[in-house]
Amino acid sequence: LLVAWMMNGHAILYTGVTAAFWTTILVVGICYTIFDLGFRFDVAWFLTETSPFMWANLGIGLAISLSVVGAAWGIYITGSSIIGGGVKAPRIKTKNLVSIIFCEAVAIYGIIMAIVISNMAENFSGTTPETIGARNYQAGYSMFGAGLTVGFSNLFCGICVGIVGSGAALADAQNASLFVKILIVEIFGSAIGLFGVIVAILQTSKVKMGE
Amino acid sequence: MPYVTELKMAVGRMVAVRNATAVVVLLSVFSAGKCNEQVPLMMWSSNGFPLPSQSAPLAGASVSSRQLQSYLSTALSSTPQNVLLFLQDKLSVDDFTMYGGVFGNKQDSAFPNLEVALQSSSSSLLLPSVSSLASVALPSLLQEQMDTAPLYLDPETLAQLRLNASLPALLIFRLPYSSGADMMSTKEVLSGNDEVIGQVLNIMNGQSVPYTAVYTAFRPSRVMAEQPMAALSAGGRSLLQSRQKDPADPYPPVEFKERGSSCILLWAENLTISHFHSGKWQRHDLAPRTFGEGVSPDLEGSFCNRTHSRLVLNYENVLMYRSFKLIFEMSQRHYKVSARGWFSLDLVKLEYDGKRASFNGSRSIYAPVEFSYHCDSVTSFLYPQLVPFSSKDNANDWRLFFDDFQIQGFNVTGKDFSYASDCAGFFSPGIWMGLLTSLLLVLVLTYGLHMVMRLHTMDRFDDPKGPAISVPQTE
Repeated sequence: LLVAWMMNGHAILYTGVTAAFWTTILVVGICYTIFDLGFRFDVAWFLTETSPFMWANLGIGLAISLSVVGAAWGIYITGSSIIGGGVKAPRIKTKNLVSIIFCEAVAIYGIIMAIVISNMAENFSGTTPETIGARNYQAGYSMFGAGLTVGFSNLFCGICVGIVGSGAALADAQNASLFVKILIVEIFGSAIGLFGVIVAILQTSKVKMGE
Repeated sequence: MPYVTELKMAVGRMVAVRNATAVVVLLSVFSAGKCNEQVPLMMWSSNGFPLPSQSAPLAGASVSSRQLQSYLSTALSSTPQNVLLFLQDKLSVDDFTMYGGVFGNKQDSAFPNLEVALQSSSSSLLLPSVSSLASVALPSLLQEQMDTAPLYLDPETLAQLRLNASLPALLIFRLPYSSGADMMSTKEVLSGNDEVIGQVLNIMNGQSVPYTAVYTAFRPSRVMAEQPMAALSAGGRSLLQSRQKDPADPYPPVEFKERGSSCILLWAENLTISHFHSGKWQRHDLAPRTFGEGVSPDLEGSFCNRTHSRLVLNYENVLMYRSFKLIFEMSQRHYKVSARGWFSLDLVKLEYDGKRASFNGSRSIYAPVEFSYHCDSVTSFLYPQLVPFSSKDNANDWRLFFDDFQIQGFNVTGKDFSYASDCAGFFSPGIWMGLLTSLLLVLVLTYGLHMVMRLHTMDRFDDPKGPAISVPQTE
């Protein structure tokens, strides 16, 4: 059974990558310890030496990309169900498009936040931690956090709305009166994406990058 | 190609040979030539008289005079006592590579007679790397071994000589070598030498006298210079600690001793100060007065105790100031979170004629207390590690430049620095940023791959035994 499991391409890939990753970390950690160079492992140095621009742009990228992944996933789940159910019950086609729109809204949240966050990125002329200043670091980290927040919220919101929408389409195909009740569930699912957007806006409200 | 067969070395040496060794060692000490030059040596005997096989030297190892002595004594113990010694001015293994027709062009070889002789002899001894001191002393070595005087000959003289197989004879043939700018002349010289060897061997064979022949040289014709470790060009990263510009640092560090034991060490390759005075910057190089072999700057005023160290360098007549002091103040304390002690260079002060300027260095010049701090460039101007203490401080009119700076203020043992905690780490911030972003993208790629690999063709309605699907062309 173990051999059969190992023959799976996925298993080989993931075990290989995981083993390589943990081996690297283990070896690096052991080397640091043996040579008494543990003082070189400095998280504060990493956080202050890496550019706030990297963090800001990672946040922007993650905001839009994770939101789009969520939206795409939701639409694919719902879409397949609508199309499949629509073969036998064509009347469900138009009504169930609202599930698709709920999923699409998630992507729109993502792109709006990405544009809002990217407008906050300004140039600054410092090169050392002292000259960059605390405010620029705060800006970089806030933008990263906001991007993560909206991205992951929208990702799971999109999946949720997609699965519920798929169930709604199939239930509607069976019994037309079920659709409106299930829509309530979808609305609750969609609200969580909105929460993510609100929190992200709060995070970036105090951002002021620049001189 | 000649081959050397394996055999255990003969045990025991005669007393005479041991004395000869002492003479040879003395001779090699006084003879000209560097110890690290090697020449090849070939030894073969005429057909029917094989050399006793001996263990070859290890690859890359150079045969010293003593080892050559033992090789010769073993070889000559059972071979003909007529020794032909062909001594060329210069010879290297590279000569055989270049002119020996080894790249498939045997017809271009400059050593046809030599090859024939080696192949036709029953056994040969090939030492690719004999120390040139040993080869220079070879005539005297053989003279001692065989107890006869050497005869310096050329082929014409040899033809007129009557040789006896039972009497020992040492015949030395000097062969020239020219390494002129044009290679053809070298090849011609080597071909000429090979002709001489051929003639001599023919004469010996014609007289039916068994012989032992040795072909070697006084000096190598090509010496590979040792390449120093290349220092990378400006802009390239390098391991700053191990820069091999001078393999051994030419001068010791500035050392402050308190009560006989070293307390503070300071080293730099260059120390320059600049002062902004009357509208322009004036530079002064303090390195000749501070660092160098035999230079001992005045360290009065320095002190060190368990938690604080101060190094004071006193100068006179620097720029336009009568007295000038450069003061390094360091302190150390134990930090609980990292559970070790750290020291930092708190202040670098300049005191000149009663005025003072202070630079703060504690922000970037720090290291664990057991180690020293090293940085390739410590300046107050370019990527400054030394910052004026305040915006109104006199230090704003001064600039300090240290090149290849290393300092240690605590835990100093002797006059060597401890391990240097360098200002440049293994990964730069840019590398870390790249790694982080790449890791993120690799995760994205992995997830995408995972999804794509889970797509399967629908096979729920496949029926291998049923009729194949037919898609008619017409409506």
